[in-house]
This record gives sequence, C-alpha cells and structure tokens, in this order.
Amino acid sequence: MIRKTINKELKELFRDGRVRTSLLIVLLLLGIAVWISSQQYQKTNADYAAAKVSEREVWDNQGEKNPHSAAHYGTYAFKPKYPLSLVDQGVDKYVGTSIFLEAHKRNEAQFSAATDQTGLARFGDLTPDFILLFIIPLLIVLLGYNAFTKERELGTHALIKSSGAKGWKIVLGKWTALFLPVLTITVVLLLLAGLVLSNLQDYGVFQWNSLLVLGLVYLLYYAVFTNLVLWVSQWTKRSGISLVISLSLWIIACLAAPKAASNIAEARHPYPTRQEFAANVLKDKDAGIDGHNPWSKEAKLLEEQVLAEYEVDSLQQLPFNFSAYLAQKGEEHEAEVYFKHYNYLKEQYENQSGTYRSLALLSPFLPARFLSMAIAQTDYATHWDFSDAAENYRIATQEFLNNNTAQNTRYGEIGYKATAAFWQELPPFDYNPPELGQILKNNRSNFGILGLWAVFSFGLLFFTTKKNNDVTI
Amino acid sequence: MIITNNLTKKYGDFTALDHLELRVKEGEIYCLLGANGAGKTTTINLLLGFIQPSSGSAFINQLDVQENLLETKRFLAYIPENLMLYPSLSAVENLDYFSGIGGKNLNKTQLEEFLEEAGLQSDAFHKRISSFSKGMRQKVGIAIALAKDAKVLLLDEPTSGLDPKASNEFGHLLQKLRAKGVATLMATHDLFRAKEVATHIGIMKDGQLKQQFVADAISLSQLEKAYLDTMEYKTIAS
Amino acid sequence: MLRYNFKYESILLFRSKWIQVLIGILIMLFGFATYNGQQKTQKRKADIEKVTAEIRTSDQNMLKLLDSVEHGLTVTARPWTIPNTPMAVGNYHPRVASKPPSELSFLATGQSDMFTHFVKPTVRGDDLALNFSEMTSPVQLLFGSFDLAFVIIFLLPLLIIAFSYDVLSSERESGSLRLLAAQPILLYKWLMQKLALRFFWLAAITTATVLLVFLANQVPVSNNFSAILSFLGISLTYVLFWFALAFAVNLWAESSAKNAVALLGLWVVFVLLIPSILNQLGSTLYPIPSRALMVNEMRTIKAEATERQDVILDNYLRNHPEYAVNDTTQERSFWHSYMASQNLIKKELEPVLSKYENQLQKQQQLLDHFTWLSPAILVQRSMNQLADNGSESYEGYRNRVIVFAGEWRDHFLPMLYNNQAFSSEDYGQLPEFTYTPINNQSQSSVLVILLCSGLVVLGVGALRFYVSSDEKHSII
Repeated sequence: MIRKTINKELKELFRDGRVRTSLLIVLLLLGIAVWISSQQYQKTNADYAAAKVSEREVWDNQGEKNPHSAAHYGTYAFKPKYPLSLVDQGVDKYVGTSIFLEAHKRNEAQFSAATDQTGLARFGDLTPDFILLFIIPLLIVLLGYNAFTKERELGTHALIKSSGAKGWKIVLGKWTALFLPVLTITVVLLLLAGLVLSNLQDYGVFQWNSLLVLGLVYLLYYAVFTNLVLWVSQWTKRSGISLVISLSLWIIACLAAPKAASNIAEARHPYPTRQEFAANVLKDKDAGIDGHNPWSKEAKLLEEQVLAEYEVDSLQQLPFNFSAYLAQKGEEHEAEVYFKHYNYLKEQYENQSGTYRSLALLSPFLPARFLSMAIAQTDYATHWDFSDAAENYRIATQEFLNNNTAQNTRYGEIGYKATAAFWQELPPFDYNPPELGQILKNNRSNFGILGLWAVFSFGLLFFTTKKNNDVTI
Repeated sequence: MIITNNLTKKYGDFTALDHLELRVKEGEIYCLLGANGAGKTTTINLLLGFIQPSSGSAFINQLDVQENLLETKRFLAYIPENLMLYPSLSAVENLDYFSGIGGKNLNKTQLEEFLEEAGLQSDAFHKRISSFSKGMRQKVGIAIALAKDAKVLLLDEPTSGLDPKASNEFGHLLQKLRAKGVATLMATHDLFRAKEVATHIGIMKDGQLKQQFVADAISLSQLEKAYLDTMEYKTIAS
Repeated sequence: MLRYNFKYESILLFRSKWIQVLIGILIMLFGFATYNGQQKTQKRKADIEKVTAEIRTSDQNMLKLLDSVEHGLTVTARPWTIPNTPMAVGNYHPRVASKPPSELSFLATGQSDMFTHFVKPTVRGDDLALNFSEMTSPVQLLFGSFDLAFVIIFLLPLLIIAFSYDVLSSERESGSLRLLAAQPILLYKWLMQKLALRFFWLAAITTATVLLVFLANQVPVSNNFSAILSFLGISLTYVLFWFALAFAVNLWAESSAKNAVALLGLWVVFVLLIPSILNQLGSTLYPIPSRALMVNEMRTIKAEATERQDVILDNYLRNHPEYAVNDTTQERSFWHSYMASQNLIKKELEPVLSKYENQLQKQQQLLDHFTWLSPAILVQRSMNQLADNGSESYEGYRNRVIVFAGEWRDHFLPMLYNNQAFSSEDYGQLPEFTYTPINNQSQSSVLVILLCSGLVVLGVGALRFYVSSDEKHSII
C-alpha cells in the first residue's frame, strides 16, 4: 500500500514538467554554488597561508630591538577558513579575518569581507547554504502543496477512501515520495562537497562525520517542512489556498522571522557602539596599573608590595627589572579589563541567542541555521573561540617579551635591545577550532528545538489524519 | 441565425470536424446528437471563435465569425456544459456583471425582470450562486441571454446533470426563446430531450453530419434506431 | 466594461476577504518595519547626542585646566594630557565627526548596521586607525533588518504573486472563462483591467497604510514630503512591475500551479539570484586583494619609516619651512618626528590603499551597468539613498572624515613645529566637522527604468497574441 502510493506519487511528480524543471534548476544552482565556493575557499586559504608565512617572516626578522618596542610593533593572528565553510559560509563574511596583537590593547578582528563589498552583498550570496536553507524548503512547498488537494479536486480522493486504505499509510506514502527527491539532492550535494574537500590540499582538517551530522541537520529541517506542507495540503480545500498558506509559512520561517528576531534581539540586548566600548575600556584601564606610568597611585602601591615581598628597600635591589615587571602587571590588568568588557559582549550575545531561541518556536529555520553554521565552524561562537585564543596568545606573547626585559636588564637601565635571533623563540600562533563533540554539546538547545519541531510536525501530520478520515470530501 | 460552410477543423492528422454544412434559422432549435468526440463541442467552439477553422467558414447573423470575433458575440449567448458563475456573487449581480461587461447597462428592475422571465424564483435573486443547483444556474444563464437580446443561443449539453423536472422546465424555457425568434444550437446526448424540444435534429459522427431530421417528422423510437444505426455503422466500418 | 469589472472585482475581492486580509497584513508589516526603523534611528541619534554632550563637558574641563595653567596654577592631570600643548588637544580632545541619521533613515537600514556613525579622529592616528566598522553581532548582519525596504522589496512581490497568480487560470479552471469569452470583449483587456484593479487596491492600501503608520510613528511627513512621495512612487512602480509580470505569466502559462511556480521562480531570480550573481561577478572580476597581505605591506612601510624618523623629520621641515617659521626654540620632541613620519607613511600607503578603493569602485561601476537587470536592486539602491544609508553615503562620509582628520592634523602641525603653546584663545579656532548627505542619483531615473521594464514585460505578455494564435496555447 505504502509502496504503491510512493510509486504513484513519484511518477506523478516526475511526469510533471514543472517538477522536472525546478529540480533541474535547483541541481544546476547547487553545482554553480559549490563551484564558486570551492574557488573562493581555495583562494582564501592560499591568501591565508601566504599572509601567515610573510607575517612570521616580518616578526622573525625585526632585528635587534627592545622587546617592548616589538610588543608595540605587534604581530597578527590570521583566521583560517575551515573545510565545511564550503557548504555553509555562516557569518564568515561579516567577521574580520585578522587580529592585530599588540601591547596594551585587545583588538577586534579587522577587515570583514562585507565591508569590502558593495551594498549588493547584503542580498546574500549564491552559496550552498543559501540553496540548502532557502531554496530547498521552497522546492518542498512547490512540490507538495497539492499532494492532497489535487486528489480532492480530481475526485480521486473518494476513490482512495473507498478502497479502504488506511489514512496514515497514504500520508506516509505521500511523505516518502515528497521527501525522496529532497533527500537525493541533499545527499548528492554533500557527497559532492565531501569529494571536493577530500581532494583539496589541506584535507587534514576535514572530517566526514561533521559532514554527516550536517546532512542529518538538514534532513531533519526538510522533514519539518515536508510535514508542514503536507499537513496544510491535507487540511485545505483548494490547491490555491494550500499554496498560499504553505508559502506564507516559508516566508515567515525563512525570511521574516530571522530578520524580526535580529531586530528584537538588538533592541532588547544592544551592543555598545564601538566608541562607547572603547571609552568604557579606557575608563577601567585608567583605574588600574599603567605600564607606562610609574607615577600613578596603583604603580606606587605595587612598588610597595614588591619591595615588601622581596624584603629590599629600593627597586635597584630587586633581582629583576621592576619597570618590565610593572609593564607586565599593567599588561595583566589591561587584559583583565578587556576580558571583562568582552565578556559583557558575550553576555549580550548570549542574551540575544536567548531571543533567537524563543523565536525559533516560530521558525524551524533558526535552529537549522545556527546548527549548520556551528557544525561548519563558521558561526559566531567559533569566531569568539578564535578571538579568545588570539587574546590568550597575545597575553602569552606580552609575558614572553616582558620577561625577557625583566631578566636581562636592571632597574633604570634604558636602551636594552634583544638579539636578532630572540624573536624566533616566540612559539607560533596555532589555533585549533572546537571539535565536533564540543560543538554539538554547545548546541544542545538548538538540536532540542529542531527535534521538537520535528516531533511536533510529525505529530500534527499523523495524528490529525485519523480525524481527517471522517471528514467528507 | 447560424450558417456553416464546409466548416473543417483538423488537429494534425486528426479531423475533428469534416466539412460541416449547417443551417439554423430564426425560431429553430437544432439539436446535434452524437457520441463524445463526434465534433459537437468543436462546432460550438468554432461558432464562438474560440478556435480557428482549418477551412470553411462559420456565420452568425450573416457575419463571418473569424472576421468579426467581437461583433458576432454581440448576437449570441452561450451556456457551457457546466455553467460556472461567480459563487460569491448573487444571481442579480452575476447577471449585472455579465451583461455589463458586454456593454449593456441595466437597472435593478430590468435585471430582476430578466431573471423572472428565465424562471428563477424571486427569493433566489439575491442569494449567492454558491447555494444554487445546476438548474438554477442555467436559468441565470438564460437570463444573461435574454438580457443580451441574443439572436443565437449555443448550448453545450445543457440537460446533463439536471433532474427530470429541471430538464423539463429548461425545455419550456427554450420554447419561449424560440417564440421570440432565437436560433438555438444545442449539443446533447439526450435523445429524449432532443425529440421534446428540437425543431431539427442532426446526428454526428467522426466530425461529419451523418443524418438530419425535422423533429416532427420522426418518432422517438425511429430517432433512437437512426442514432444507434449510425453508431453501429462505425463499429462495423472500423 | 471597466466600470463593471471594477465594481464586481472589488465586491469579489471584498467578499473573499482578500482586501481585509491585505489591509491587516500590510498594517502589521509596515507597522513593525517602521517601528523597528524608528527605534534604530532614535538610538543612533541618542548615541551621537551623548557623545557630543561628553565632548562638551570635556571641553569645559579642558578650558578650566587651560585657565588654571595660564594663571600659573599647578594641575593634577597626567602631564602629557595637559591641554597647553597642541598635541595634547589634538589627541585627547578630538571633535566628533558624526553622521546623524536623516529623518527618513528608518526606510532602509542599508549599510548603517555595519558602519559606525561617529568617529573622533586624533592627530596621532593615521587614517587606517579610524575604524569605521560598527561593533555588531555578525549574526545580526547575516540576518539583516526587518525594515520597510525589506517589506517592499521581498515581501510585497510575494503578496502580489499570491494575489494574482491565478487571476486567469482560476477562471479557466472553474469554467467561467468560457462564458466570459463568449461575451463581446477582448480577454487580454479584461485581464489587464482585472489586474489593474488589483493594482489599484494594493496601491491604495499601501499608500494609506504607509501614511497611517508614518503618522503613528511620528515621522515628520510634511518636512519630507517630496522624499516620501519618491518613496511611494518607487514602491508603487515596483509593485506595478510585479503586476505586469503576473499579467504576462497569466497569459503565457496554463494552469494555476504552473503560474505559481513560474512567478515564484521569477521572484527567486529577480530578488535573490540576480543580485547575488552580480555581486559574485563583481568580486570575481575585480577581486579585492588580500587584506592580510596589505597588513604586512603596511607594517613594513611603517617599520622603515620609524627607523628613519630623524632623517624624515629633517627632510620634512626642509620641505615645509612654513611650519616652523616662528620657531625660536628648536626643541624637538617625540611628536615632532612622529608626526613627520606619519605624513610619509600616509603618502607611501596611498597606493596600497587606493588598490582597494579602485577595485571597489570598479565593482560598483559594473553594478551600475547591470542594475536594470533586477528591479529589486534598483529599488534597494534608491531606498538606501532616500534613507541616506547606502554604500555611497558611507563612502562619502568616510572620505569626508579623512579630509577632516587631515584638517585637524594640519591645524596643529604649525603649532607643534613652532613649539607654540595651545591657549584658551585658540579654542574658538578648532575645526569642526559637519555632515551633509550626498545625493548623486535622481530618483526619477529609477522610476523611468522601472516603468520601462514593466512595459517590456507587458509587451512580452501581449506578444503572446501575435506570435501564436495556435489553439494549443489558447488562453481559453
């Protein structure tokens, strides 16, 4: 019974010109999108590798120099592109790719791609995630809106009912027939992406199991849409009305809800402006030790403490250069200030995420969006992780430099220069993004919401069939 | 009145209508009998100008249909097999719309008079069409013809799906129109109703007009025999 | 025919609850979008006001400090911030270079969520130190804003599609089309009237709701009458374009289902695909060079300049003797050599930076040639312009700020090289930044292009009648 329904529905679908055309177009678009993305991926990674090498060269070859001058000269941390960004670009376009690591200051990642593009960039890109998240659900709407209404309009509904077929079996048959083409497209796309990625040079980071989980997320997302579209088709009298309702669901879920959520989240939990943020940081910085200002109240306090601890009377008697020690303490204080203010940003974002989660009840798009970005390591959390790692590296670098000065000079000595070979001793910045297991753990709630959507929509579709059996044609 | 000269319609190799010669004069009701695919609806579509003839020509009120697509429609009224009006409009409103877009402005009393003349009960005038039976809808269709003051009436299977009483009433309505001098062409399967209302009867098959009768000159059983013979002939031939 | 079509189409639309639903949806969409936009605008205004007030207070403190210093009193501030030196004022008392929102800023968010609205250029910082990007969650940038431009560009066409995809086909499918076709009327005229009527209703409801929503959100309508008129004009022509498309599709395609697929397909093409393909094309043909590599180039230039600071200063003063004419002290501080090398760095960086500007400009030019491909792009650009939030606006603002930063620097340089103190009399002479929006594209050209594309589409629809009279494609 179920197999017969599937067969019949698939035959109907594939004999319909509009279905063939739309499937063909979607596959074509997917091909183009994967191609464009892989070109971009390769270019970005080549740029990244080149920048990393040349940056290190600049650092290694700065010659004899005072370590603190080198600290101000600074180094850069570059953000790599991860393999699955081929499938989902996430927020990559909107976050910077390089962080300047210097003394006293935590800088934000600079040079996001979006600021280097025209206003058109805001329409979105032809990338696989655009097709996976927007176009395929639209395809489901177009393929499935008349699954039940057409039977009603043709009168075959009564024929099927009179054959004594169980309602849920027919629903399951139609469901499978609608889901199969979508499943095929998704599997083809992900296989394609997997093959492209495993044939690229730096295949090391790419893992098939991430791709598999990504595929599962999308299939779950499509199952929700399939359920909703079929449910609407089941409960409406005419195909036209069914189409309009399903389309509205798509508009709300994929277009309106994310934008509305973003506005509400921003209004409720705003970020400070860049200037405000800088001013707040400055205020807190001024309240503590400033490595460049040995006359401040806080510096004097530290001086007394250190003298007491080492039981000496003057700074000259300390076994290390107090100026460098002060500089390091100042560094630590500043790092703490930045930690506090960036944590505030994170908190605000956490609050914003709460808003997104609560609005996800209106839109299965939202959890799918967040999960997809997270697994592809192109989400905001990964960016935070990178930026935190860069900050830790910056702090370690400052310590490394200040320690060199503290150990090699005496208090009051000026004009010290570290040897030209010294710079190479700084360990390189090596960043590893969070593992899949960690990502999944962090995104439990999004999984929960998407799962809830799936359960709810399956329930809607299958538990309302029974009643529908009694409803007349 | 309706005239066709060698009217032929071909779809590729298939001949839907084969050199039809038809004359329906004022005050005549001509019934075209025939199985599905005999060419009845093709004839009506050609008379309406919905499709173009492959050769030959059709005339309504002495005007060539193809050359006067709009003009000929002023003289004719058409009731399709399943007459669908606007379900959320009332009978009066539907009548007002269909006569209005054709350029006839009628006031409320006139509209009601036409509906009454078409035999619709007055309590249904302002009800929405969605609650109407097929018979009632057809009465509105007749009212549209009346309002238009049509010289020619084209009917496609008007009695299919009507109960006997409604069908009988419809027959009377046609007689009324005949008395006004309307030339009616009616395509139907219904031999009994054809014999009842028609002045002339033609039997079609494979796009050809096989036999014609004057209705009064033939009994129902003779008509039935003639019809079956025509159909039989086909099976033997093929 | 027109009168009857108009009367009964309206009755039908009303009885099928279309008009009521439309009014409800539009009030909701326009209301929410306008409210959002106004909120953003208010916040932006408040931010700018706050920072201006802060500057005012800090200026008063500065004047007090100056007064004390000039009267020979000792002050407790950190020595390098005492405002009697030009560099202290130039660094610690910058002016606010702000881009206040226009009164119609709420129409379109444009690039305003990505870029900052005020910066405070100092004499120390080079142009690259001016960070024009705003601190925003990238998720917000990714999702975009629910603004009026979004409602009009993305959602209104979908409403039109839902409103008109089956105008002809539903009549065919229900059978009333045969009855209509038997009337002495031209069907395409009849269809055009029907769609024109729907356009009329949608236009009327849109106009009324927009005005209502604007009034409810305290938009200064009378001050911006012509701009609001442009906004309505562009929106309605865009709506007209989609109706023309619906007309053509109704005539070309057959069943309601096919119409729906065709129209939605066209929506995807015009609103999503063409913009993203053009964007992709722009960045492929004129790729922006790697910023990461620029960073390294920049650092090399800076490092070299720092090493040669003393030589640079000498050369600099030789080239600009006017800066130091009144200097009798010949004192040289850190600032003297720093500012001189800054100038050199700026010059050497120019070709590096202009590569980026050039590529971006080339991308923009490419787009200018092809915007007519999608009315959605046209409308987006005009709305951004009306709101003064477009890429061009921000580019203009950036350029002006950079000019102002130069003025600010140049104001203090002669004082620095003449080793002149900053006094309270000099306060009145400080340069100020004023922002005036640029307007480089006339909205009427957008209207004309939109109208033309609508006409072309109508023409394509009408072509149907001349190309084939074959009944396989008969609309009946």
